[in-house]
Amino acid sequence: MESKPSNSPSSLVDQHVFPGDVVLDLSKMTNQTIKLGSSLRQDGDAISAMKAGKLRFAKPNKYWVESSHKRYVPCAGDTVLGIVVDSKADYFLVDIKAPTLAFLPVLAFEGGTRRNIPKFEMGTLLYARVVMANTGMNPELACMDATGKAAEFGPLKDGYMFESTTGLSRMLLKSPPCPLLETLGKKLAFEIAVGLNGRVWVNASSPSIIILVANSIMKSESLSPVQQKIMVDNLLQRVQ
Amino acid sequence: MKSTEEKGEDGRSATQLRPLSCTRSVLNRAHGSASFSQGETKILAAVYGPKAGTKKNENPEKACIEVIWKPKSGQIGKAEKEYEMILKRTLQNICILNVHPNTTTTIIIQVVNDDGSLLPCAINAACSALVDAGIPLKYLAVAISFCLAEDEYCVLDPNKLEEQCLEQGRAAIKLLSDFLRRKLWSKVQSDVSVAG
Repeated sequence: MESKPSNSPSSLVDQHVFPGDVVLDLSKMTNQTIKLGSSLRQDGDAISAMKAGKLRFAKPNKYWVESSHKRYVPCAGDTVLGIVVDSKADYFLVDIKAPTLAFLPVLAFEGGTRRNIPKFEMGTLLYARVVMANTGMNPELACMDATGKAAEFGPLKDGYMFESTTGLSRMLLKSPPCPLLETLGKKLAFEIAVGLNGRVWVNASSPSIIILVANSIMKSESLSPVQQKIMVDNLLQRVQ
Repeated sequence: MKSTEEKGEDGRSATQLRPLSCTRSVLNRAHGSASFSQGETKILAAVYGPKAGTKKNENPEKACIEVIWKPKSGQIGKAEKEYEMILKRTLQNICILNVHPNTTTTIIIQVVNDDGSLLPCAINAACSALVDAGIPLKYLAVAISFCLAEDEYCVLDPNKLEEQCLEQGRAAIKLLSDFLRRKLWSKVQSDVSVAG
């Protein structure tokens, strides 16, 4: 017995869905190619959700469920912050809050050859890009972009790293920038690296600025854009 | 002996459930957590995972689910092991096990208060915690218990007193299909907030 069969393709878009909800009924749509994104699976003629979240649709034919969790599901092309756990002969083992550890090949750096292999200690924080993420295999990372340039990837020195949810990372990486970062950036000087796996790194000249930025980001997850701006204004007024 | 119109001690008729409440993300460090209460029975469920590696006897092509049941007081005995086994089989049926092969998801159930209908409350709490953690599920699991009295008379969601009095019938736990899920949906929906 199916629950809530949707009559038209767009009846559940931008609504909350639960695991098991049938979001699309393929028997009613003919001759269409649909791309299914994260957390949607095909069960015969019905497309059902695997996680709880908001169903999203992008033209022309992409559907996915957007949700925010503390763990990360690796996806090729994402930029993440990883922590080195171990180093082997050919690769480093990096923890990216995914179900399995990720491999970072020793040569995946700009101008990397067998002669200048970087040495990372356990616990080094890296900003890397996910090159490949297939089910059943460990994801692979690289510290260079698709063309082979370094492009700010690599180890992050100093600063402070904290963990939060994947939804917060997506909000911080939105363009145009979220009001939180804009308002903070007008008064304070800091640099920030956001990993899509829910890790954020902040660095500034003095520890009090780092703490201020980190706390305001951690508090802002459930606030709307207007509330974020008000909260940051209040915080900055108290400091200065 | 109650008929369908008579009320029990707490003013409930035979087919009325106790007030339900569910809160998600109660624990800071767990990857997913939920607190579920039916009347006075309250259970806290925490989910950690998926983490790399499976146990020795488990199939490495599938995800493995591990359940730890912690009673309110006392040592862990056979009853707790039985609950763990029932819960593990139930949750294995609703989780999609081939999305993350060779991983282990640990679910820890802590009994905060026991006033009857313990296992269904635990199943509900565990399912909410799995949804909170983002573990891929085929569908949601809903459980309820009912007591069968002598003349095939049925009492829903018994509390501890009713469970002990109606000893002749045995409290049975039934996993409901979507039909009854929709009936309980309106009670739970206002309390359960969804990720995203």
